[in-house]
Amino acid sequence: MNLIDVNPDWAWAAYEPSTNSPWNLDAVAHLFRRGGFGASRKQLVESVGNRPAEVVESLFSAEEPEAFQREMQTLLRAAIATDNVRQLAAQWVYRMLHTPAPLKEKMTLFWHGHFATSDEKVGDVRLMQTQNDLLRKYALGDFQALTLEISRDPAMLLYLDSATNRKSHPNENYAREIMELFCLGEGMYTEQDIRELARCFTGWEIKRERYRFNRYQHDAGMKTVLGVRGVKSGEEAIRIVTEHPAAPRFLARKLFQFFVMDEPVPTDELLVPLARQLSDDQMNIGPTVQRILGSNLFFSPLARARKVRSPVELGVGFLRAFEGTTDFFQLADAMYQLGQGLYQPPSVKGWDGGRTWINSSTLLGRANLIHRMLNGNKTRFGKQSLNDYFEVNGVDSVVDIADMLESSLFAVPIPRPAIERVKALVAASEDANGVNLAVHAFCTLPEFQVA
Amino acid sequence: MEFELKSRSVEKTMTRRKLLGHTGQGASLLTFGVTAPGVLCDAATLSAEQRILVVVEMAGGNDGLNTVVPIRDDLYRNARPNLAISSDDALSINDDLALHPSMRGMADLLEDGKLSIVQGVGYENPNRSHFESMDIWHSCQRKAEQRQNGWIGRYLESNKLNHLSDPPALHLGKRQQPFALMSRDVRVPSVQSLEQFRLRAAKSPDLRDAIRALSSQSRAGASDLLGFVQASSRNAIDASERMESAGVRYKPSEAYPETTLGRELETIAKLIASGLETRVYYVRIDGFDTHANQPGAHAVLLRSVSDAVGTLVRDVNAQGDGDRLLVMCFSEFGRRVAENASDGTDHGAAGPVLLAGNQVKAGVVGEHPHLDDLQNGDLKHRIDFRQVYAAILQQWLKCDAESVLGAAYDPVAVFAKL
Repeated sequence: MNLIDVNPDWAWAAYEPSTNSPWNLDAVAHLFRRGGFGASRKQLVESVGNRPAEVVESLFSAEEPEAFQREMQTLLRAAIATDNVRQLAAQWVYRMLHTPAPLKEKMTLFWHGHFATSDEKVGDVRLMQTQNDLLRKYALGDFQALTLEISRDPAMLLYLDSATNRKSHPNENYAREIMELFCLGEGMYTEQDIRELARCFTGWEIKRERYRFNRYQHDAGMKTVLGVRGVKSGEEAIRIVTEHPAAPRFLARKLFQFFVMDEPVPTDELLVPLARQLSDDQMNIGPTVQRILGSNLFFSPLARARKVRSPVELGVGFLRAFEGTTDFFQLADAMYQLGQGLYQPPSVKGWDGGRTWINSSTLLGRANLIHRMLNGNKTRFGKQSLNDYFEVNGVDSVVDIADMLESSLFAVPIPRPAIERVKALVAASEDANGVNLAVHAFCTLPEFQVA
Repeated sequence: MEFELKSRSVEKTMTRRKLLGHTGQGASLLTFGVTAPGVLCDAATLSAEQRILVVVEMAGGNDGLNTVVPIRDDLYRNARPNLAISSDDALSINDDLALHPSMRGMADLLEDGKLSIVQGVGYENPNRSHFESMDIWHSCQRKAEQRQNGWIGRYLESNKLNHLSDPPALHLGKRQQPFALMSRDVRVPSVQSLEQFRLRAAKSPDLRDAIRALSSQSRAGASDLLGFVQASSRNAIDASERMESAGVRYKPSEAYPETTLGRELETIAKLIASGLETRVYYVRIDGFDTHANQPGAHAVLLRSVSDAVGTLVRDVNAQGDGDRLLVMCFSEFGRRVAENASDGTDHGAAGPVLLAGNQVKAGVVGEHPHLDDLQNGDLKHRIDFRQVYAAILQQWLKCDAESVLGAAYDPVAVFAKL
């Protein structure tokens, strides 16, 4: 079956296991990879005993316990005190790895790529974290409220120059991007709309690292935005933009790409039920994400292995699969080198994902990252070496290793010839650590790059 | 179905290589190419000439008006009370025009007869979105058309440069790959430093061989996406082998600027000197989106480009490869003529393209855009950017520009000695 033939009603109806897409370990692993950053085999085995809808629901009801939040606050304070964005990134990687609420972090990452803001221009890690907290607060919540708050977020105001948007000379940067990249998509507005919208945001400034409305710099005249006359304030304008009929379609498409597949591109028709739901829910995001993750299409073979692992998914997913921990600063740095620097997206457009993650240099870099994690002196798996971890879990041959990796990390089967080849590599090696060698080799296969 | 196509194309490549190996002549390529679609360029001439194109993308929308400055124009001074460049500081090109004061490197090239300034380059109905306009420059297509590939990607594809033992093009930098390099069949690697191409492993040659072999096996039911990753993996392994041995002997003839761009251009010089067959190098420098506090930032950016490109041209000449080199510097659009209230400028339209190398026609090509004839406050273009591409494709890279660009464009006269 091709995506083009998929009936939209069937696609987004609640998942019913079938012979074609049974509810098994692979299906659970798929759900945990997309709705989080993967899981250990133990967790997968526990979950497969529950009904699909229950497991999906558990992703949404998960909360960070208070003790974990306190721990994060301590780590955050320490990271901010260093004034080093990579330290801040390391803190977030730690959170993604250890959080009991991974979907919330995954959505926070989604919004970070959506309302992309880079410390490279903002140059203030405290403000970057204030924005990150905001994205987390609304991770599965009200898109309109998030858009309003992000429009007054100091890091965003700095990033898109709205802090210097004055009555006499409106700065169009934010006005353009809120329509093009945040809410509607290119072609849904005119250049005139941009000019008018920029006027609405005049006087939105920062004072002492906080948003402040400067009425002396605000153009209080009437504006016409997206065909609505008599618009006065920026708040009104944001409501008009987020209530525009293109907004739910635009977001549905982004959520589809993020959770379901990088390619092929879906038709508008396929996305209609999702867009309608977003619109019915007044752009409240959670229910639509829950519908996506619990749908027939999501669990169908069409959606399996149809995403390229992002550098963050690769690093965090690898560790989560074996209850691992590592040098987070180094890991965050590697993610940056591979094209996904946290708090440093490449542009206001965020990360394009999909094929753009892959080229010769990043492929070698990905293999080298796995190698570095495996052999790093700060790396532990379940508080021990990978060798011991595997032994405890009854993994004691190359075939067992392949089996272990396949169930937790691979979205497609590891080809038989690869297992044979890795067996030979391990046998020929004088390197005592055959486990590390085998895992590194398997994770250098093309199959490992898709999720 | 998909997987059959893939395996066939692998065979094709191998046959081509074998063919080349036996005859050692590019001409047989053409014979073979009769059955392969889209052999549009004269591969035999190309391999003889070994010409190289280095693209420097100035991302964010470079303020062309403060790059190539109409120093005598009152309209310019009126539109830019705070931002106008003083004629005392600017580096004179002719009576009416001068380069930004920080562009000493470019001014020196101009003096040496190695810089061509193409004026007023843009396109009809300019789009002022960074991404949209950059995509137009990269793909030569508007949004309504399905964009599958970039202009350089199409050049690489149509040229069947697969016979080169090195990657036909390289992207330097850690940012995502520019769309200009995208194509269905030709994978372009990205490099930051040569070190990145080393595969870390206890026995890396063994692992390399294993991954190469396993990436070449076709998989039943593999998706397009997995096929793409497989092809990219083979490419990565090949590139890793080649680059490990490249660039051991090279010593720069002078110090490159200590900037990211400087280091990237030095890496390019090193790769050229070590005999890599790569035809196109692509680098990008960010930050030209000067909506606020433009003067300092813009000066730093222009100096960075200017010094690095100047050094590259001199160094490659010193290494004996000067005649093979052409550098093109472009931006997705220029900026609005009138300055804004934040000491900056907003998105505009037409701007200059700079070409550097031994063979360019030195000086100004085309008319400076007229400041009394604007469209929505922006400069009008007089030269379509595809006319610049056409000149490069046809006269420099010697291929059929029309098929790469999708239509016939009149090449701009930017070369003196071709």
